[in-house]
Amino acid sequence: MRERLRFVDSRMLLPMLLLVVMGTLTVYSAGRGTSQSGLWLKQSVWNLLGFAAMAAAAAVSPLRTFRSALPLYILGILSLAAVLVAGHRIGGAQRWLVIGHMTWQPSELMKWLTLLFVTHRLGTRPLHDVSTWDLVGASMLVFFPMLLVLKQPDLGMAISFLPILLLIPLLKGLRARWVVVGLVAVALLGAFSWQKVLKPYQKQRVMTFLDPGADLQGKGYQINQSRIAIGAGGLFGQGFTSGSQTQLNFLPVKTTDFVFSVWAEERGFLGVLLALGLFGSVIMRILDTAREAKTSAETYFCVGAAGIIALHLVVNVGMVIGLLPNKGIVLPFFSAGGSSTLSYFMGLGVVMAVRYRAKMK
Amino acid sequence: MESQQRSLVQKRIGIMKTVAWFTILWLALAYARVQIWQGREMQRLALAQAVKTRTTPAPRGLIFDRNSNKLVDNRRALHLVIQYEDLPRDNSQLDALAQALQTDPDQLKRRVAAIRLAAGNRMLVLQDNLDDSAVARAEVLRARFPFLSIEVAPRRVYLGEDLAGHALGYVGEVTPEELARDPGHFQLGEIIGRTGFEAARNDQLKGVDGQRRILVDYLGREVATYGAQEAKPGRSVYLTLDAGLQQTLKEAFGQVQGAGVVLDLRDGGILALYSSPSYDPNLFLNRLTQTQVEQYWNNPDRPMLNRVTQGRYPPGSTFKLLVAIAALEKGIITPATTFTCYGHKNFYGRDFRCDATHGTLNLVQAIARSCDIYFYELGARLDIDDIYNTAKKYGLTDLTGIDLPHEARSRVPSRAWKREAKHEKWYAGETISAAIGQGANSLTPIALARFYAMIATRGKLLTPHLLYGVRQENSNDIDLYQAPAPKDTGLDSGIWTTLDEGLYQVVREGTARESAIPGLTMVGKTGTSQVTSFVDKAHYAALSKKLRDNALFAGYAPRENPQIAFAVVAENAGFGASSAAPIAKKLCQYWFIDRLKKPLPPPGARLPDAFRLDLEQDSDEPAR
Repeated sequence: MRERLRFVDSRMLLPMLLLVVMGTLTVYSAGRGTSQSGLWLKQSVWNLLGFAAMAAAAAVSPLRTFRSALPLYILGILSLAAVLVAGHRIGGAQRWLVIGHMTWQPSELMKWLTLLFVTHRLGTRPLHDVSTWDLVGASMLVFFPMLLVLKQPDLGMAISFLPILLLIPLLKGLRARWVVVGLVAVALLGAFSWQKVLKPYQKQRVMTFLDPGADLQGKGYQINQSRIAIGAGGLFGQGFTSGSQTQLNFLPVKTTDFVFSVWAEERGFLGVLLALGLFGSVIMRILDTAREAKTSAETYFCVGAAGIIALHLVVNVGMVIGLLPNKGIVLPFFSAGGSSTLSYFMGLGVVMAVRYRAKMK
Repeated sequence: MESQQRSLVQKRIGIMKTVAWFTILWLALAYARVQIWQGREMQRLALAQAVKTRTTPAPRGLIFDRNSNKLVDNRRALHLVIQYEDLPRDNSQLDALAQALQTDPDQLKRRVAAIRLAAGNRMLVLQDNLDDSAVARAEVLRARFPFLSIEVAPRRVYLGEDLAGHALGYVGEVTPEELARDPGHFQLGEIIGRTGFEAARNDQLKGVDGQRRILVDYLGREVATYGAQEAKPGRSVYLTLDAGLQQTLKEAFGQVQGAGVVLDLRDGGILALYSSPSYDPNLFLNRLTQTQVEQYWNNPDRPMLNRVTQGRYPPGSTFKLLVAIAALEKGIITPATTFTCYGHKNFYGRDFRCDATHGTLNLVQAIARSCDIYFYELGARLDIDDIYNTAKKYGLTDLTGIDLPHEARSRVPSRAWKREAKHEKWYAGETISAAIGQGANSLTPIALARFYAMIATRGKLLTPHLLYGVRQENSNDIDLYQAPAPKDTGLDSGIWTTLDEGLYQVVREGTARESAIPGLTMVGKTGTSQVTSFVDKAHYAALSKKLRDNALFAGYAPRENPQIAFAVVAENAGFGASSAAPIAKKLCQYWFIDRLKKPLPPPGARLPDAFRLDLEQDSDEPAR
């Protein structure tokens, strides 16, 4: 048995396990007395499925995984197209596929499939042969699914594709010329999006971020209530299932986007430090794995994976406290949701597989 | 080359790790700022929106008559309200709500704005006293407008309906004008007495509102209660009214318009007070329908006017006693002085008429037969200011001080009055009309009753009042109200004897002999005051009702040992002796004979069924 589970990287698994337990307890507390009181059980099942999926992904050699990168990418693009054609619509956004009694959000998995395919393409050539045009091509591979996701529309999710572009500074360094090109590209993309792509509600979010006081009952209301919840947690927290903001429903979307506010209210600043530390150690472990990986593709994949986790952490945790715009982005391991849970676990399963192969002489 | 590239990648991953740690540190610092530096403030904000103070309206005191018959009760009623913290900020929601409730959207917005600005978190009452079907409709509305709620609060019930509408008055929400007029006295949204006794003794009747600290969820729904301070109900109040006498008075008026009041001569307590047409105070607790507004507020018969305290009538011949006092005190006549009535006489070039040819009369006979000529002669010998000063001395020009709001002041003309009001000098001829209670004379029935009470008590000016006592907070004992001590006018006893004899003769063989009661000596003076110019009796039948005279009767009983005084005005009813005196007779018949024939009800028993009153007996339970 020990022999068979050697691919399990306990220094990544343990902090993940802790985060998942913390997250599920928080979902339990947030759902109490609401229509979502059973959500923590459902999430527990997803977590178990997630660990199984992670084990499966970790047990497969990264080389084999990379070989199916192209068909998986195409499958992913098709699933995004299916969402746009026949997706389930909730509140003006068409993001879900309905399979039986289950809803599936293909964009969650697509992030990882895009990362897999892009790193596979870049990793097949020697490092010094990677040209600027290769990077432009790779960026196109990222932008295409991003645009499909923006079309749903789902700005938060589209943004979470961006960490894949971390590969550019990884390969080319942070030279002034690249920074300028990057900034200009982002500015152009931003201006274009503002004019053509962003929906009014998205513009509203940006405006709310710039001036939260102007709209206390709308999006600003959410951030305001979230800040009150976090602040009311103080150093030690109000106690498990005892946060007034959470239990009296002042806190909005508290099982998904704002789940970290629940944690912060009920567990206080010490709980926040614990969570941030655990997230940090997961990210560090992934980056360490990137350093030790045997092939370039594996290195790139791990860097992208670390980027995805880090971006979700920063955007979500920064959003709920009002540092960043209210984007509607989930927090890995904490937020309830099947598609994202399975996707993160599978992605990190691949990282484990990379580590296992690197340690196997 | 390859390994050089690899080491470069390694280095860049190292940089990324550093950047990641710094980013996490940045997040941690942001959380430290909100959770540690701003923690207190955020905790305060969280509490402020979760813990609310709600006002529990205190029930007003119940009102009983002097025999503990319950006149006004409180019932628990359901009201459709918006709690303070639920008041919508969105005007479009208010527009939609106003449309659903079929009310004026601007008025609704003004009310919402007023409540929001005011201190204390009072609720906005949209509809009160919901019946079953209204509750069902309100529930449907709540589904559409989640900020609505249904609240239980006490509501007034006037058990006698229109029995004593003007005496009791009714309650309503305090108006912005009242709030502005008397800052700090009322709270916004408070239910106060609008008129009648409810308004006059509002401070005795109102309780102390309770407070509840409750935990609410984000929709303002109550999740838990902690720390409740019970509302302290207002104290039960007892009126000097006697429900049976009040009912007798009401029935005696029937469809006739007018006013009647009966005073207890011991202390000025009002035993009955009725203004016809009366109203049912229960109607005014709800928003009136347009028909009701027409029926009550825009009715030319003015049912909302309390004719007893606000209706001013020319006193007619009931005024002659005051003129007699003035003449006797001035020494112009003695009781034995006679004048001869030929049916009419010329004064100052104008022919003044009497309604009969009475021949030669002394003062007592002139009072008994209500001879106008006799009093014209007195008017010709008195100055109007003599009459005014006598009226002033015997309290006719003052407010009586009754504990009902907006009492009108009676008017007895004087030179000064005419100069100020009409910018004209007084003509001696006007004194002739004034001497028989016509002209500018105009008295309220309560003032007239008080004047006859003064005669009955040989010169004491009582303060009419409705308050009998207030029940003690924690027992059934009653703190009796001490009426202001009567003022002695110093009426000469010789003069009094003449007046008393005159009034006696009125009922024995004079104008009101029809109204004599066997075994009881009720005395009083009839009056007929012309609403229009004098017209021949033969034409009465042909006249429309509005042009007919007002009939008056004022007096006291029993003569030997006066206990009650009364004044009755029957509007447009014709001759005083045939319309007003019978009402007074019924009052005395009830009070001195019928009431005593029946065994007195034991304390706490129902009234005899004969009164057909839906009055509830006072129970030992404290007011709720």
